[in-house]
Amino acid sequence: MTLGEFLKAVTEAPGPSGYEEGVRQIVRSAFSPYCDELRVDPMGNVWAVRRATRRADRAPRIMLAAHMDEIGFVVKKIDAHVLRVSQVGGFDVRILPGQPVLVHGKVPLPGVIGSRPPHVLPPDEREKVIPLDELFVDVGLTAEELPRYVRVGDLITLRRGYVELRNGLVMSKALDDRAGVAALYSCLQELQALQHSWDVFAVATTQEEVGLRGAMTSAYGVAPDAAIAVDVTFGRTPDCPDIGTFELDKGPCIARGPNIHPVMFSLLEETAKRLEIPYQTEPIPGRSGTDAWAIQVAREGVPTGLVGLPLRYMHTPGEVVCLRDIERAGRLLAHLVATLDERVLSRFRAPLGSSS
Amino acid sequence: MEEVLRALSEAYGPSGNESEVRELIRGMVESYADELRVDALGNLMAIRHGPGKRVMVAAHMDEIGVIVSHIDDKGFLRFSNIGGLQNLTLLGNRVRFADGTVGVIGCEKLEDRSKVPELSKLFIDVGASSKGEVRVRVGDMGVIDRSFAMAGSRAVGKAMDDRAGCAALVLALRKMGECRHDVYFTFTTQEEIGLRGATASGFGVDPEVALAVDVTATGDTPKAPTMAVSLGGGAAIKVRDGGMLAHPGVKELLVRRAEERGLPYQLEVLEGGTTDARAIQTSRAGVPTGVISIPCRYIHTASEMIDLGDLESAVNLLLAFLEGEIEL
Repeated sequence: MTLGEFLKAVTEAPGPSGYEEGVRQIVRSAFSPYCDELRVDPMGNVWAVRRATRRADRAPRIMLAAHMDEIGFVVKKIDAHVLRVSQVGGFDVRILPGQPVLVHGKVPLPGVIGSRPPHVLPPDEREKVIPLDELFVDVGLTAEELPRYVRVGDLITLRRGYVELRNGLVMSKALDDRAGVAALYSCLQELQALQHSWDVFAVATTQEEVGLRGAMTSAYGVAPDAAIAVDVTFGRTPDCPDIGTFELDKGPCIARGPNIHPVMFSLLEETAKRLEIPYQTEPIPGRSGTDAWAIQVAREGVPTGLVGLPLRYMHTPGEVVCLRDIERAGRLLAHLVATLDERVLSRFRAPLGSSS
Repeated sequence: MEEVLRALSEAYGPSGNESEVRELIRGMVESYADELRVDALGNLMAIRHGPGKRVMVAAHMDEIGVIVSHIDDKGFLRFSNIGGLQNLTLLGNRVRFADGTVGVIGCEKLEDRSKVPELSKLFIDVGASSKGEVRVRVGDMGVIDRSFAMAGSRAVGKAMDDRAGCAALVLALRKMGECRHDVYFTFTTQEEIGLRGATASGFGVDPEVALAVDVTATGDTPKAPTMAVSLGGGAAIKVRDGGMLAHPGVKELLVRRAEERGLPYQLEVLEGGTTDARAIQTSRAGVPTGVISIPCRYIHTASEMIDLGDLESAVNLLLAFLEGEIEL
């Protein structure tokens, strides 16, 4: 499967937080040719384990994490012939009316997020964002039929296909963070041709959007010696400030800040320079809001890095990323893994501030 | 059932001061458990050994309350909240401290009576006329003082959150026959201030599967928020709340057990709040965790209301879960 084919398959699959099974199946079958072991842990995280090619008794472990869950909705009440819903994660409520959705009821039911047409709205309400409380999902069933197909607690995802734009850009729902999962896929492929002395645990995590919960438990389970999370970051658009946003197709972002171990930042930067992979530096002053935040404090602490993929229109159905950035991130991760040795381990273990 | 619930509801146990509740529960379960343990955070575990999975069932003993922050020269107490106190419901309520001292919550003169006063405008009057007469000290905790009552088939009292859950565990443990699994009935501490007892006991018990039993809100009162849970509709099986998504396998197994035994149940999507299950789910490498909820009106007020039929269906659902195979 090419990177584009993989990305299309995973972004089109439904996988709201806690209910990632659709994506998990694709990830498992796509990752399995490139790893020695494949496991699913109690929180549903997929671990693809590549053992060190240069054997050691107990090789150190690097964990690479990207989350496979997407934001969605859950049915909170069946209200006559429509469904009242609650968010799983956080969509931008401004863009919800009119969105096509898929209700995961007894059978998959295509539907639409409904609201009153503008013609019947009083003028002062036309300018306002319609709160989620006043929106509903309509699948075309009658009030009598609906309870036979849908229960309270059924999940709902956006129904949007993968579209190729110009210049290697692609648009889809759930590129946050299936683009990151694709970077792991690309990394595992790249590693086929490389020697490495650390065990690699590529983990597609669950429940990131509801509080980094899959990363928290898988980091405990893997007990890595170092880790890198891959997630999307804000792509630059004309109306966005330059600070805190990043150009698409100018390479992955290497994050820096308290969430990031300085040695990990340096290793990523050195690797990118050595391979002439374009990259951008993303300063993050506090919590990164990514799996890296949870992994860093697992067990007695994990030296953690973060690679960001610039993405436009986050948490909308039309998220946009550049395929080349994903390839670059995959290559960067693979070559970083190949540089890990005993010397690097001692650099991670040296007290912070004693070396860079 | 009513007597167990009454005793639990009326007991004193703000977060971090659960010993009275713990001793009460110890007396209720002692002769039914194979083993009792209390851990460093005060969590009480009543254990029934069995050959199957290690299962943790958690209900929290603590309740919301007040903590004295300052005592003025005239003997009035200023206080801060323990957990999610609702200022709207405080005025005129009585509070009771561990030593039996009772006080009344009063309020300063308000500029704007149409607004809910901030906690800093309220004080507790323990009937003293000077600082010297006050027996409680800064740092002492009080709870709302309110007796238990029945209103038809509905039980009303303080601290139904989560003594109703504690009652469900006690009653299930007493009714349970031969034990198929290794079951840790865990009465947790400090839930109301951040699931702290469950965080520690989840790690300590290291369960293979877990359930919390706690109260949930309802959508069946006048102009309530949209929610498809009603009082009297049976135990609620949680899908999600503000803090967690129940494990789909555990949720479906609960649904299956309820249907097999013909127990009334409702599926629950709660938008705010959470339970011990949130903490247990992410303990160590992760624990498949679900929640049996007891629908409750007026949560975090002096008069929390549950339906005894719902409590009974929660007990029976818990037993059905524990007595069957747990394959997820």
